[in-house]
Amino acid sequence: MTEAIQKTVQPIGVATAALETKRLSAWFGDLHVVKDISLTVEKNDVFSLIGPSGCGKSTFIRCLNRLHEETDGARVRGEVLIPGAGKRENIYAQGVDPVSIRRRVGMVFQKPNPFPGLSIFDNVAAGLKLAGVVRRNVLEEIVEISLVQAALWDEVKDKLKKPGTSLSGGQQQRLCIARALAVRPQVLLMDEPTSALDPISTARIEELVMKLRSDVTVLIVTHNMQQAARISNQTAFFLMGELVEVGPTKSIFTKPKDSRTEQYITGRFG
Amino acid sequence: MIELSSRDGVRKFSNYFWLAMLCLLAFTAIAPLFFIFAYLLVRGWAGLSFAFFTEIPKPVGEVGGGMANAITGSLVLMGLSTVFGVPLGLACGMALSELKKSAIAKMLRISIDLLTSVPSIVIGLFAYALVVVPMRGYSAWAGGFALSIVMVPIVARSTEEILKLVPASIHEAGLALGLPRWKVLIRLILPGVRAGVTTGILLALARVSGETAPLLFTAFSNSFGYRGLSAPTASLPVQIYTYATSHDETWRQLAWTGALVLVFVVFCLNLVTRILTRRTV
Ligand SMILES: Nc1ncnc2c1ncn2[C@@H]1O[C@H](COP(=O)(O)OP(=O)(O)OP(=O)(O)O)[C@@H](O)[C@H]1O
Ligand SMILES: [Mg+2]
Repeated sequence: MTEAIQKTVQPIGVATAALETKRLSAWFGDLHVVKDISLTVEKNDVFSLIGPSGCGKSTFIRCLNRLHEETDGARVRGEVLIPGAGKRENIYAQGVDPVSIRRRVGMVFQKPNPFPGLSIFDNVAAGLKLAGVVRRNVLEEIVEISLVQAALWDEVKDKLKKPGTSLSGGQQQRLCIARALAVRPQVLLMDEPTSALDPISTARIEELVMKLRSDVTVLIVTHNMQQAARISNQTAFFLMGELVEVGPTKSIFTKPKDSRTEQYITGRFG
Repeated sequence: MIELSSRDGVRKFSNYFWLAMLCLLAFTAIAPLFFIFAYLLVRGWAGLSFAFFTEIPKPVGEVGGGMANAITGSLVLMGLSTVFGVPLGLACGMALSELKKSAIAKMLRISIDLLTSVPSIVIGLFAYALVVVPMRGYSAWAGGFALSIVMVPIVARSTEEILKLVPASIHEAGLALGLPRWKVLIRLILPGVRAGVTTGILLALARVSGETAPLLFTAFSNSFGYRGLSAPTASLPVQIYTYATSHDETWRQLAWTGALVLVFVVFCLNLVTRILTRRTV
């Protein structure tokens, strides 16, 4: 019903966009590392970002939740639009509080980074608790749902009071995913979430990403072509801070339009 | 061949000789510690009794009595200085770690280092002017205030050092949840470095428990026991100083036993910090 109304108000395609960047640029001091990127991520996409090391993938996604600006000397220009109350909102518009944006655009990092000194339960509950959710039963419910979503519940349900850092690397990464999911973001950014993990943990996280897409839009940076091919429906190829090519994953991998994309995915450079 | 091996022997001997010399010097350096312990045990042990901890001193000439007034006084003073000094020190430490290399942080860091090197008698004088004079009298407030000034820089620097060890990725994890920086720091980072922060606080307490100069003209002394925070308050170090220099044999014994107790407390505080640091590393 609401979707139908939206579709009549806004042109199809825009109404379903979960995130759109317009001429997004980012700098470290004078170093221009993300150059004029414009792309659209549709709702419920799993969108993968590929490209050689140092091409600006991490910097790009760190601009999408306004984390880039937390680095000394870092700068951003351009627009990032996400659906807000009723209409789309530029997260870099004047007066927008980065804190409120980050609640809607969550992030999972390359290395698992649970809060040391906090229990498994408190790690997952942290975002909610500190945002003012105090009812124990509400917290318990959301923690359980998030851990189930992150495929970790069965392994930790009997030791929720143990420190988060007592888990294995793969479990810690799933804990971090649960932590990010607990605040119910619209968009989830994942920066090489499986690069530090063994094949089994990797497979579980890939499975989880594919399940998540019904609830949340996922942008995932990966160096693993097979992974991008397996889990994403859209792929963007970055090179030296520029967006070379973007499109359905299948066509990027089978019939890339740009010769540089082809060279990269066939392993000839990068 | 033979010559070579005999030269080897000489080299070995000179190696051992130097090692032995170094060990000897090292032991000489720490010998005072053992002498202090041994001497305190010998002189103080005799006066150790239940009464020492429960009774107030008897007037000059009478036997018996204890240092209950100084013990409770010291506890009150340390409690007060913790209440003032720890939150301030923590705040300073957190500010330093948040502001990192900014000009304000540099200034704050220099000031804190300077504060560490201010002679404690000067801190006492400052507390005298600021608290004793306006309140028209010696008080636990003044003593606690003076001691807290000694505590602040110690707690601040140790907190900063501990927070520096927390990787930026942990801060980012908190920010990425949509939480303001200060909440991330206080509620998510601090719990992870509890043991380290506690270590700093205990070290500061150990230092403050033996401070005498800042108390001489702030908390002063009394021989009745605790009479409220606005009354002159006894403390172990000051009472040790007074009694050790008195002519009364009973009092001098009390001083030795007091010194033994004080050193034991400081020793225990240090031991606890050792255990805590070992657990975190
Ligand atoms: N904190 C920083 N300060 C200065 N320059 C930086 C900083 N972080 C990254 N860079 C530079 O920005 C460029 C892009 O880095 P970024 O981390 O976005 O690359 P990436 O595509 O994620 O690489 P990788 O695949 O290795 O993770 C690189 O040239 C890098 O040297
Ligand atoms: Mg990266």
